[in-house]
Order: sequence, then structure tokens, then C-alpha cells
Amino acid sequence: MLRRPSHRQRDELRTLASRQAAVAEIGRLALASDDLDALLRDTVQAARSELRTDYASVLELTSDGRSLHVRATAGFPDDMLGGVLRADAEELSRIALDRDEPLAIGDFSAEPDFEPSAVQRELGVTSALVAPIGVPGRHFGVLGVYARDPRPYEADDVNFVRALASTIGLAAERSHHAGRVRDSEARFRELADTTPALMWMTDPDAHVTFVNEGWLRFTGRTRDEELGDTFGLSAHPDDRAELLTRWRQAFRRREELRFEYRLMHAPTGTHRWVLEVGTPRFADGEFAGYVGTTTDIHERRSMEEALRESEAGFRDLADSAPVMIWTTDTRGLVTFVNEGWMRFTGTTLAEELGSSWALGVHPEDVEQMLDSWHASLDMREVWEYEYRLMSHSGEYRWIVDRGVPRYEGGSFVGYVGAAVDIHERILMQQQLREVYEIEHTIAETLQRSLLPERLPEIEGLRLVPRYLPAGQAIGGDWYDALERMDGRVALIVGDVVGHGLRAAATMGQLRNAFRAYGLIESSPAEVMARVNRLVMSGEDAMATVLYLVLDRETGEVTYSAAGHPPPLLLAPDGVRFLEGGRSMPIGAADPAVFREASGVVPPGSTLLLYTDGLVERRNVPLENSLAALAEAASEAEDDLEKLCDRLLAAVLPQLNPSDDVALLAVRPSAVSADALRLSLPAEPESLALLRRRLERFLHAAGADELESYEIMLTVCEAAGNAIEHAYGPGDASFDVEAALVAGELVASVRDSGHWRDRRGEHRGRGIKIIMGLMDDVNIESQNGGTLVTMRRRLAHARAA
Amino acid sequence: VTAPAEIAVERHGGTLVAHVTGEVDMTNASYVRDQLLDSVPNDALGLVIDLNECRYLDSAGIEVIFDLARRLRRRRQDLRIVVPPGSPLTRVLELTEVATAAPIHETVDSAVAG
Repeated sequence: MLRRPSHRQRDELRTLASRQAAVAEIGRLALASDDLDALLRDTVQAARSELRTDYASVLELTSDGRSLHVRATAGFPDDMLGGVLRADAEELSRIALDRDEPLAIGDFSAEPDFEPSAVQRELGVTSALVAPIGVPGRHFGVLGVYARDPRPYEADDVNFVRALASTIGLAAERSHHAGRVRDSEARFRELADTTPALMWMTDPDAHVTFVNEGWLRFTGRTRDEELGDTFGLSAHPDDRAELLTRWRQAFRRREELRFEYRLMHAPTGTHRWVLEVGTPRFADGEFAGYVGTTTDIHERRSMEEALRESEAGFRDLADSAPVMIWTTDTRGLVTFVNEGWMRFTGTTLAEELGSSWALGVHPEDVEQMLDSWHASLDMREVWEYEYRLMSHSGEYRWIVDRGVPRYEGGSFVGYVGAAVDIHERILMQQQLREVYEIEHTIAETLQRSLLPERLPEIEGLRLVPRYLPAGQAIGGDWYDALERMDGRVALIVGDVVGHGLRAAATMGQLRNAFRAYGLIESSPAEVMARVNRLVMSGEDAMATVLYLVLDRETGEVTYSAAGHPPPLLLAPDGVRFLEGGRSMPIGAADPAVFREASGVVPPGSTLLLYTDGLVERRNVPLENSLAALAEAASEAEDDLEKLCDRLLAAVLPQLNPSDDVALLAVRPSAVSADALRLSLPAEPESLALLRRRLERFLHAAGADELESYEIMLTVCEAAGNAIEHAYGPGDASFDVEAALVAGELVASVRDSGHWRDRRGEHRGRGIKIIMGLMDDVNIESQNGGTLVTMRRRLAHARAA
Repeated sequence: VTAPAEIAVERHGGTLVAHVTGEVDMTNASYVRDQLLDSVPNDALGLVIDLNECRYLDSAGIEVIFDLARRLRRRRQDLRIVVPPGSPLTRVLELTEVATAAPIHETVDSAVAG
């Protein structure tokens, strides 16, 4: 038979599909290009044409928050673009930003509390819908559409504008952040080339991608010779093997590398002692390679060696050396500082001798530095400490100070030390850390804003989600649940391949795509196919997804697993995985075949949907971890929260997963046969949902098929009256209650309007049905509303 | 959320038979009416609405039947309804006296035969 949805349905679907396509296209542009202005231009055009309004604009909040900069317009006079508006004059935008919620005004003339701004009034704006862009604390601005005629903006319209706003919010964050990274890289290179220190960078494959001028002067090689797989090339042959071992070890663990070795010094043709310090760096939340500095410590090493030979020779050597040298006696009192030290500090020898350790040390560093020094001195161990020391110009500069205990004829005679200026290196590390922290915060915020704050309340279903992020990397795991118009519930758990901002942004788009197609398509395989097509036509992304549709009444499930581990069913008679429906991951190929499988969830069961972070362990075969999960879940647990906690504790003992973990526990609740209580929006669209819920309740209450139908029809007729007489399109709602009292079904519908007299035969028929199908009907006016109470004795009670 | 209804029309000689599947309520009643009305050409003898597969029909749906009967009568065309014995719809159709506007048959064949 031909499937022909109703006009209204068709229009709604067409609108939904067209808007979804518009959001997807904006999302694709946001990921594909860095051109924020072009993206904003396309966004306002899409908003204006999809909502058929006269005007649309993006206003960017200036950094002081007091003004709004007109970044993109559609329909507005050309000269508005680039202008600046006072934020307090744009009341609507300001309130939307304050509330962090979209704000719709259907008709300014009917709203005593809101007024259009002067600009809007001039253009004849009568209705408006504005949505904040970005997250609170970092709002980018507002996206708004404005029309000259009144508009009853509906939930779908608000959601559409919200989706556009959230997409461009991500793009604005990304653009801002890309700018910061670019700036900081440029600053880094500039700084690196003007510093006398030796610096280098690698990519995540350990290939050298940058060395500074200082490095090239030192090694006498060209940049071309140094780039690539060249690590350790200029090290002394005796030191190279150990350098490489230490480097690989640090690299594998993403740890700091710190190693002293001899490096070829081209100007003198000799090897000089250097200290190599390499620090892992991150971009976009992902490991991006190492940045390193190489410090010449040859003098210090020579000093230490010279001292072993003769004190006098040492002092001569020390004074001519371009580094800072000192010695102490056995109590740690300073007995000598060289010329280099005094040149740096601008102090005199008299000031420096004796108990001068705190002299010139930065107040924030002095206490810990002294603790560290005394601890080493007590143990006669090598001492090394990085701290800020005041230079002769009055500026604090970072130095690394190192002291080695010395012995004469086997007895301890004090320390010899050397300090090196490492100010540039420290500044650079701080800057990189700062950039990394910014990126991390953005990615984290992004992911939090994309995950559902809380899952929708779905009648007859208990849902408990858990999300565990993996350490520092931001993943793309998500979970979701939505109620379809046929009364079934779609449950989704997915995992975007990769980490960082990009994965989080892709996750947001996929989540929206599943929400949209999940409403339209009833077959899980078809939903997968459509999302796959969307992904394949756009960005380069891949995800594994488990999509499952559950019929709460029958317990029937249909599901498809795109490269995703199978859901676990905790049934009263045992624990098993729902196998089948295995398909390729989303984004792997097009066209792709998506399979689906069906099964039945017996009453009293729990379903567990999860991402592979829960079961994937290094060196553990997947079957073993799946078996461990099933084993942990086999012990019955009434409390769903506790069940989740117990499973996570059993499968992830340290609760510190190496990959993100999303877990969604779903338990269809036994239908209450005692009472049903509902509050629904007073619109015709509520009726289908009301029928589903009544059916469930009546079935549980023991009504037979005919009784069920007739009672459901009666209550819906009463609800239909309530909907027709509800005030306005705003917040009006109506309440339905049904209960089984001593074999008698008692249902009531309460609204806030007055039932008018019969309007034509049509309404008269509604009343006829209500009166004819129930044993007893009572209609009364109450507190400005109408309450209709209906009773009917059920057959099984009559028989009893 | 709009009630889902599907309409499939076939011709039995001079009579059109429209099979209505799904649910009819105030969200889709006018669509159902338009579809049914559009499916009847001027030269047809009449229309049979088959409610065998109709799972839900409220007063808005019943109003559609009365409205159609009125419009078809002006075109000198008959409207008949098919409701199988034991259908949950039966009592509702009785209460609202649908038979006064359109005769009710138990099978499509008997409805087409008139």
C-alpha cells in the first residue's frame, strides 16, 4: 500500500528535512573553512529563508559587553553591516544573553513587557526570535530573525534557530582559538629566532619540524639538513645511544625529556656539553609533538672537572667563564662567586659571601628554594633548582642552579655550583602551557554543551546515563534518548573517532542528525543510512553508533550497531548481549549497507548501552572484557544508579579510563495499574501521545480491547474540547488523570477554559460519544476552568 | 505530532473504494477529507470508505463522514462505510447515527454491490 502522510505531516517533514539540511550545511561550512564572516553570512541567509522572515542578523558582543557589533545581515539595509549598537538599547538580545535562552516575541504590540529597539521599530518589526550564540561567560553574540508581521513562533522554529546558533557558536570558538594558536606559534618562532638559546620542535611522529637560528649557528648545519628524522644526529658518538634511548622512552610516555650530553659545536669543531629539555605539547587537545631547548652547560661541566684538579686553577677558569659559578664550605656558606655571577646580579663579592642564599631570589621562590638546598646539603646530594633571581637591571630572570658536593682526600669540603640563565625557555614553556590550557578548556566546554544536559523524562522508562571523560583528551562520545511519534523510544549511544575540538563538534552534529532522522524514519537501518549519507557528503568524520528503538508496550526492540559493541540485556532469566544488526561504522563508505536485528526485552529487564571505552583494554581480547562486563552485570540490582556505579567500578577499577566512556542504562518500568497523571500542552498534537499513554495504562488496568478503545476515545474527546477552549497559543495546558477505583475506571480532564455551547453538530457528536460510552459523566466549572469526570465499570470487575 | 493515516484508493467498476489505515483525529481530519473528496471523479457512482484497518476514529473523523456524505449527495453520488463485525468503531458509529448519512456494511463486496 502506498504510504501517504497527511498534508500537515508532509509539510512538517519537508520543513524539518529542509531545516536539518540547512543546519548540516552550516555545520559542514563551519568545519571546512576558517572564514567566519562567510559562515555568518550564510547562516543569516539560511535563517531568514527557512523561517520566511524579513530580516536576520548576527550581532557580536564586544569584549566589554556593552555593545553589539553587526557582523552579518540579511534583509536589513546595507549600511547596518559593520555598525555598532548599544547593548542596553537592544533589549531582546540582552535578555536572551542574560537568560542564555532563545527568546520569541510573536507580536510586540501584544507584549507589554517588551519593546522593539529603535532600529527595529524604524523597520516595522512586529515579531522577533533571537538566540544567544556560544556558552555563558563566553557568549559570542546573538542570532536573530525579525518579521514585519506577527508570527506564532513554535518549538520547531526555536529549535532551528538554536541549532544554527550553536553551530556558529562552535565555529566562532574554533576561529578564536585557531587565531590564538596561530598567534602563539608565530610568537614562539619569532621569540625562538631572537633568543641565543637553542630550540627545536617535533611533530607527533618525532620528526624535527623546526630548529631556530641559535641551533643552526651551534651545529653549523642548514635547516634542510636538520628537519626530519634527525634527532641525536649531532650528538657525540659515545652519548648518542643513551640520548636516543632516553628520548624514545620519554616520547612514548609523553614525558619531559631532560638529558645532558655532548653536542657537536661547529664554530670550534669540538663537542660541548649541553642540557636538553624537551616538553610534550598539545594542540586541539591532541598530542602535537615536542618543543625543546638545548642549553650550553659546557663551562659548568668543565668547572666541575677543573675543581677536581686544583682550587686555584678552578678560580682562574671560573672568572673567565661566561657562566655563573659559586662554591660553599661544608656548612653551606658561600665562599666564592665568580665574575659571571656578579655581572648578572650587579652585587659585590662581599655581599655574596657567607649566608647569602636568599639574596636577590624572587619572594615567591625563596622559601622552597632554601628548603630544597638545605635538604640536599644535609644529604650531601647533587642539588638542582629552577628559580627567579634578580638581575643587575632589577628584572627577575629564571635560572637553573646546580650544585655538586666536592671531596678532598675522601672528606666533604663543600659544594661547587653553576647557574645558567633559562629565562627564555621558561617563558616559552609557560606560553605553550597557557595555549594548551585554553584549548583544553574550550574543548571541554564544547563537549559539555553538546551532551544532553539531562535526558528527557520519558514515561514508562527509567534512564540513567554516565559519562567519564578520559584524562586530558576530549573525546566524542555521546548518548541520547527521544520519544518518537509512534510512541516508541529511540536510544542512541555513539563514539566519534578521534579526540579534541573537532571530535566534539562532529559529535554535536551527529547527535542532531540522529535526533532529526530518528523522528522521521522508523527503521534503525534507514536512520543509519541517512546519517551516513549526510556524513559522507560533508566532513571527513567517522563514528561508531548503536541505535535502538524500543516499544515500551511490547518490549520489542529493533537495533543496528554500526561498528559498535552490542548492547547488554539484563533479563530476569539471565544476562546476554543483543547480537546482530552489525554494520560498518558511520562515515566509512557510501553507499553502505546497514543491517538491523530485532528482539524482545522481557518485563523486568534492563538494557545497557555503552561505548567501547568501557570494554576496550590494551592487551585484553574484546571477548574477555565483554565477558567481564556480563559477569559484573549478572548480579541483580534494583537501583539503576547503583547498578551503573557498580558496573563502572567493576570494569574500570581506577575509574580513570584511557578512552571516554558513555554508559546508558535503560529500564522499562512496570506500568502502573493504579493511576495515570499527565499534563500536556493544549494543542491537537498532544492527542496521539495521550492515546499511547492511555492505551498502556488501560491495558495494565485490565480493560479488554473494546473497553480500552472506548475509554481512550472518550477521554480524548474530552481532551479535544479542552484543547479547543484553551486560552491562546502560549503556555496553556490540560491535565488528565485516570485511576482504577474498586473495579471502576475514573478519568478526568481539567482545563483552564470554558466549554462553550454546542458549536454545530461536530461538537455535539463529541458530547454524544462521551455520554454514550461512559456510565457516568459530570461536567463542572471550576476556578475559571472546566473539569469533566467520567466513570465506567470494567467488565472483569462486573463479572467478579 | 500529527496522527498517522494512509489512504489507498482502488476502483471497483463505477465505485471507488478508499482504504483508510491508521488513525484519524482533529490533527489530520481535514487532510483525510480532502484526499477522499479528490479521489472521487464526477463520473463515479459513489465512494466506499473501508475502515477495516482504521485503528482510531474520533468525532472529527465522524464529522468527515457527514461532510463527505453531504458533498457527494449534491453530486448525486453515494457514500457507504465498511466496518467489520466486532470492530471497536461500531458503537461510536451507532451513537453518532452515522448510518443516517451513509449506510454501514460489513464487507467491501457488499458495500460495492450496494
